[in-house]
Amino acid sequence: MGKGRWALRGVVMAYLGILIGLPVVFMIYKALAHGFGPFWSQITQPGAISALKLSVEIAAIAVPVNTLVGVGAAILIARHKFFGKRAFDTVFDIPVAVSPVILGVALILAYSRIGWFGAPLLRHGIMVLFSPLGLVLATMAVSLPYVLRSIVPVLLEVGTEQEDAARTLGAGRFRTFFNVTLPSIRWAVAYGVALTIARTLGEFGAVLVVSGNISGRTQTLPIYIYDDWDQRFDTLGSYSGALVLALISMAVLLVLAMLRKRERRLRVDLA
Amino acid sequence: MSTALATPPPASRSRWRRLRSRLGLGLLAGGGGALIVGYLSLIVLIPIAALVSHGLSISVVTHGAGLAFWRWHVSIGVRTFWEAITAPGAKEAIFLSLWLSLSVAAINAVMGVAIAWVLVRDKFFGKGLLEASIDLPFALPTIVAGVVLLAIYGVDSPIHVDLFETWMGLMMALLFVTLPFSVRAVQPVLASLDLESEAAARTLGAGSVRTFFTVVLPSIWPAVLGGFGLAFARAVGEFGSISLIAGGLGRTTTASYYVYNLTQGFLWTDAAAVSTLLLVLSLVILVTTNVIAHRYQRRTL
Amino acid sequence: MSISLNNLSKRYGSTHAVENVSAEITHGSLTAILGPSGSGKSTLLKLISGLEAPDEGRVIIDGDDVTDVDPRHRDIGFCFQSYAPFRHMNVAKNVGFGLKVRKRPAAEIDARVKELLALVKLDDKASRYPSQLSGGERQRMALARALAIEPRVLLLDEPFGALDAVVRQELRQWVKVLHEQIHVTTVLVTHDQQEAMEVADQLIVMSAGRVVQSGNPLALYESPATDFVHEFLGPSTVFGGVVTRPHDLELVSVYDGAMKGRITSIVSLGFEAQVTVELSDGTTTWVQLSRNELSKMGLRVALLVGVRRRTDADF
Repeated sequence: MGKGRWALRGVVMAYLGILIGLPVVFMIYKALAHGFGPFWSQITQPGAISALKLSVEIAAIAVPVNTLVGVGAAILIARHKFFGKRAFDTVFDIPVAVSPVILGVALILAYSRIGWFGAPLLRHGIMVLFSPLGLVLATMAVSLPYVLRSIVPVLLEVGTEQEDAARTLGAGRFRTFFNVTLPSIRWAVAYGVALTIARTLGEFGAVLVVSGNISGRTQTLPIYIYDDWDQRFDTLGSYSGALVLALISMAVLLVLAMLRKRERRLRVDLA
Repeated sequence: MSTALATPPPASRSRWRRLRSRLGLGLLAGGGGALIVGYLSLIVLIPIAALVSHGLSISVVTHGAGLAFWRWHVSIGVRTFWEAITAPGAKEAIFLSLWLSLSVAAINAVMGVAIAWVLVRDKFFGKGLLEASIDLPFALPTIVAGVVLLAIYGVDSPIHVDLFETWMGLMMALLFVTLPFSVRAVQPVLASLDLESEAAARTLGAGSVRTFFTVVLPSIWPAVLGGFGLAFARAVGEFGSISLIAGGLGRTTTASYYVYNLTQGFLWTDAAAVSTLLLVLSLVILVTTNVIAHRYQRRTL
Repeated sequence: MSISLNNLSKRYGSTHAVENVSAEITHGSLTAILGPSGSGKSTLLKLISGLEAPDEGRVIIDGDDVTDVDPRHRDIGFCFQSYAPFRHMNVAKNVGFGLKVRKRPAAEIDARVKELLALVKLDDKASRYPSQLSGGERQRMALARALAIEPRVLLLDEPFGALDAVVRQELRQWVKVLHEQIHVTTVLVTHDQQEAMEVADQLIVMSAGRVVQSGNPLALYESPATDFVHEFLGPSTVFGGVVTRPHDLELVSVYDGAMKGRITSIVSLGFEAQVTVELSDGTTTWVQLSRNELSKMGLRVALLVGVRRRTDADF
């Protein structure tokens, strides 16, 4: 028994070490191998800064939109009966179930010059391919379900009794939503938003396909890292950019862990 | 103004209130729903429809004038589709993706159970770090995952293990990005297992290995399968983490990378055809594993 | 305020949760709707509150037809089975919620909340959160919250269901006292006949979505209209083909009884004892005896005895 436990522990640690631990450690080491100065000058290059700016701008549109859509759809799914609910629910998972590359191709075939709506859109001067608009669409698609998926189970678990109680006490629909429903799902919303942010900042495949990769115009941070490695053969630049993104995702992870603890505490309260 | 008009009798006033309130809710939910459906159409449904219709070269042709349905003719370009997915390079890429994804999902199904077991049942110093590291591949942007792996298993590997442009490297990347799915699918189920039935098996003389296979595995099996499906679908579609490791060689070009290469050559019809195949494949895998897991669960409950 | 229920029906799909129910609830009464689970009693309460709309029939509170009035305009106090506390608000905020919705001035809300918390003996817990309260305290907070809006009617759904036996007993007494103090028309739903008999002054017994019998608790116990009410309102057994209360039967010597039988088991429950007898006609019945009677008669298993109806059945 004791021996078996140690063996299992050893196998698991070795696997995670080889797959995750060592690579992350070496990546950090390589980014900082020449000291902090070179790392800093890499990530403050104009190209890197403008890529970071574009990534943040895209997130600033995609995250609020997907948060609103996620909250609205979650309430529809958890609190209303309507025809086609299963299908409605499933559509949200399609963008994460298929390859981001496929999603990019799909967006192009719908909205670019060669796509279904290309001609009418172009006539109005709207360009989707090779433009920031395409990046926003692609990013919104890949980060679609996270808020919804975080909220629905909580809404179902909390049940409708608090909302009913508010109603019998005379509260209207908006007051019930803002004073009763929203507070009970706020940590779930925060959890979903954190996931959405992580996904938006990191999206690569779909964005790469629709972007056309125009430096300074359609280059997000992940694409910039890719270019540093693949086109400019600047591995230090890649390591540095990757470290920045890795730090952001680790921060998100930390936030998520804290939110999960809150959630768990709330669940215990309920019991 | 007569007071009778200002204050109608209670019954009719209340009926109006109720009607208004129902109508309000209907409008609110309906309006919100319509907006969301519009949004879903914009970013998911229309693009996917465009992709499939392009991939299968579906076209609607009308013969002669008028809108009568018998004058319509829907043509599906099966031949162009078939040619696109059997083109040299395409076949190899699809097979590479398939066998890599299957092996990766299988390896991580086993390792996922082992890791979940350690996380749920074992206690030791540093377990928190282990727990956090599981989510890292999920939170890490996929391109960063590629850079991270190349930092140690790349051309200038500090430990002299160079997996650049090899299937081992691709597998490493896929194992990395799918690990959270395999572990997190099993972990909550394992945690909710009734320890007493295991104890019962032990008191009946079963060893720990036999207990695992006869008591534990049957109850976590649907979850393992669910994790397998998720990992497989993710691996088939994965692009970011392997885009650097694959390099530019034909023998390390996976299906999604192949599609990307087609888009770089503006070969949209071919790209759409292979994409359609991959799309159907991922959806079939997800639905199948869901159905099997569901059925299994119902039987054991 | 009185409540009239006129021919209420409510279906969920093809099941009739409530079928053609009519009842009168008098002003100031404490009425218990009693029935086994699935008898439609909770649905009936939801119909009174307006949280569910009836398919047919009318709900009339104090002469007003409120059938089409949204629950938020009905002026009812509803206590949920789970108490439905607002988890993110403290006790005072919970209790004051209804008043805040009604846009009362802050000073008035504070005063009213204080008064109510004193009434339900939670004055020292005003700034606690629901998660920091015991089950009984949550129940009292829910009551205070419902009472804060000075409801015309107070509705309680299984108010003591989730509490342990001791707290439950305490709260029952307390609710009865509270009702005498504030005298608001109260309707409570329960599946526990003992609870209903103890607390309520009116009973409505439901089964399978219909009202079987209603009236004064003692009257229902004494003269139940059907076997169902008989069995539901207290211990019962069958003797001579008739449903009867086991304490209305007695054991006598084998020659005196109306029917002969053999004792098959004796279960002692402290003060009382249950003696099961297999009768000569093949049926089985049981008799409730006091401990004194049991020891005086020297009963034991396998003894042949006579069973008959008590002649002093009127206590």
